[in-house]
Amino acid sequence: MSSSITALSTLHMQQRMTQRPHPLLAVLAWELRRFAASRVFWLQALGLFCFLVLLTWAQATLDQYSKRIVSAFIPGTSAWGLLVTLPPMLMLLVVLLPFVTADGVARDRQRHMRGLVMSTVVPSWAYVWGRYLIGLLMSLGLAVLLLAAILGVGMVLHLTDSGYPAPEPGTVLVLWGGMVVPATVLVASVSFALVTLFPRLSTAVKLVILVSWVVGAMVLPILIYLPSGPNALPTGYSAWDPTSELTALAMLQRYQPNVDPQSAAAMSTAQFQSLINTIANKAPDVSTWLTPHLIEAGLSLLLVAAAAFGFQRFRHTFGA
Amino acid sequence: MELEIERLGKRYGQQWALRGLSLRCEPGMLGLVGPNGAGKTTMMRMVATLLDPTEGSIRWNGKDIRHHGATLRQVLGYLPQEFGIYQEFTGRQFLRYLAAMKGLPTPLAQRRVDEVLEIVAMQQMADRKLPTYSGGMKQRIGIAQALLNDPELLIVDEPTAGLDPAERVRFRTLLASLTGDRAIILSTHIISDVEAVANRLVILQQGRMLADTTPEALLTGAAGKVWSVATDQATALRLQATYQVSTMVNQLGGVSLRMISAMRPHEGAVVVDPTLEEAYLLVTQQSVAASML
Repeated sequence: MSSSITALSTLHMQQRMTQRPHPLLAVLAWELRRFAASRVFWLQALGLFCFLVLLTWAQATLDQYSKRIVSAFIPGTSAWGLLVTLPPMLMLLVVLLPFVTADGVARDRQRHMRGLVMSTVVPSWAYVWGRYLIGLLMSLGLAVLLLAAILGVGMVLHLTDSGYPAPEPGTVLVLWGGMVVPATVLVASVSFALVTLFPRLSTAVKLVILVSWVVGAMVLPILIYLPSGPNALPTGYSAWDPTSELTALAMLQRYQPNVDPQSAAAMSTAQFQSLINTIANKAPDVSTWLTPHLIEAGLSLLLVAAAAFGFQRFRHTFGA
Repeated sequence: MELEIERLGKRYGQQWALRGLSLRCEPGMLGLVGPNGAGKTTMMRMVATLLDPTEGSIRWNGKDIRHHGATLRQVLGYLPQEFGIYQEFTGRQFLRYLAAMKGLPTPLAQRRVDEVLEIVAMQQMADRKLPTYSGGMKQRIGIAQALLNDPELLIVDEPTAGLDPAERVRFRTLLASLTGDRAIILSTHIISDVEAVANRLVILQQGRMLADTTPEALLTGAAGKVWSVATDQATALRLQATYQVSTMVNQLGGVSLRMISAMRPHEGAVVVDPTLEEAYLLVTQQSVAASML
């Protein structure tokens, strides 16, 4: 070790510490740098994007519609198509989100970094909110990959096949913004808040969130849909369903009936496909469910605020 | 600057890890010694504002750190016994990160990082990723981060654990050179680590303070109670079973022993100057004997 140890004594640290950086900005900037420096994260993001592209491609031409002698497909990247494909893709995204966000604070404990960080002057609120916001940013980044996959695949299909309609960016954005973004905020916030408050239960919290989502997206809709049928879905539940599965089922009923009255006019497959494309790209009615979805996302932020408030710098147990 | 600890206690469940500890700490190096489980780390974590005391108080410049923890953290450097790393970072990035958490403005942080890297002789390796570091290099980065804010109170918990002998000596020298105007609390169960550098020793055992003394006073207290004898194997084994033996060296034709005893343990034994380790053993031995009465 060097002999220039007197360097320390020449500093007048107290005088120079007057212009401290904003603690939240410092946490945000360095968390971002940490994510940016992680090759694993970027590889995972690339892997997810490739998978989403493949999935969107595979679902690009949904069910064939046959009427008399003509038939047509529902474009997977149209509004109609997205109501079918988006909830399962959202579930795929949700499976990853707790692993991106939940351990933002708790991971320091697992890595034995808590002592180093908590013995600095960084305020608890800046530490917790900074970690959360970066986790949320990364989660929303993954959600943007989903949007990019939908729009990108839709455009490529349109350019390579004139019969395939170009995706309507506005429509896609509305569905993505109403279904994917609130769900991303909700899952990221709930998982982060619970694991921050109960760091020892990190795995259990993630598991509970994932199982709850799968039940909400796959089991409950079947239980509700089967007895009630498509025309008697409970409006309250379909509006507040965070998984958007029942929301999408309810909205699908507004597309299918439009086909039958107009199909008689179609004299050829091309005409019928054009008719289907026009109907499929109609903007969905978001009036009933967008606000509930946004409220759910907003409420989850309150849970993060509670976690930031309840975060204890002083621990009561040795290993905590 | 003054750190004042008063009747400090910490209980985990029904077990007291530390109880009734009172001491005042001023500039200089305080060596906190004791066997594993004595309560050293518990005490240091409480002073570092990481652990909530069950009873008692810790005051920094007269202010209770439970309510004014931020005041202490501004001038605190802390090297925990075990600390992790962010694997994504290089050594320099890691220090820059902790400098930011310590509230150092960016230009100052850059300069300080360069300085502490020089102090711990890590400039050449600073841009390597942390997972490629050896234990000694990691420990040097640990002490470097503790020095970033030019701390008035430096808490170093078992810093030499896992280091090779040469690294340990270098580390001790470094710590000794850092004393200056700051208070350093160095915890260890290796007496030779504090022997050359601490001007004050606090001995803990089973959560209680056995002694708050100086190395010189500790040595004086042990004078006349350390004995040396060269004998045969059988006698050596008998002596070992009866007395506290600090050193036992096999030699040609016999065994050389150093023992701690208030009375002459063997007719051939001669009084020798105690080492600090032997003086420490004497204090802890007396404590065990007293507790058995």
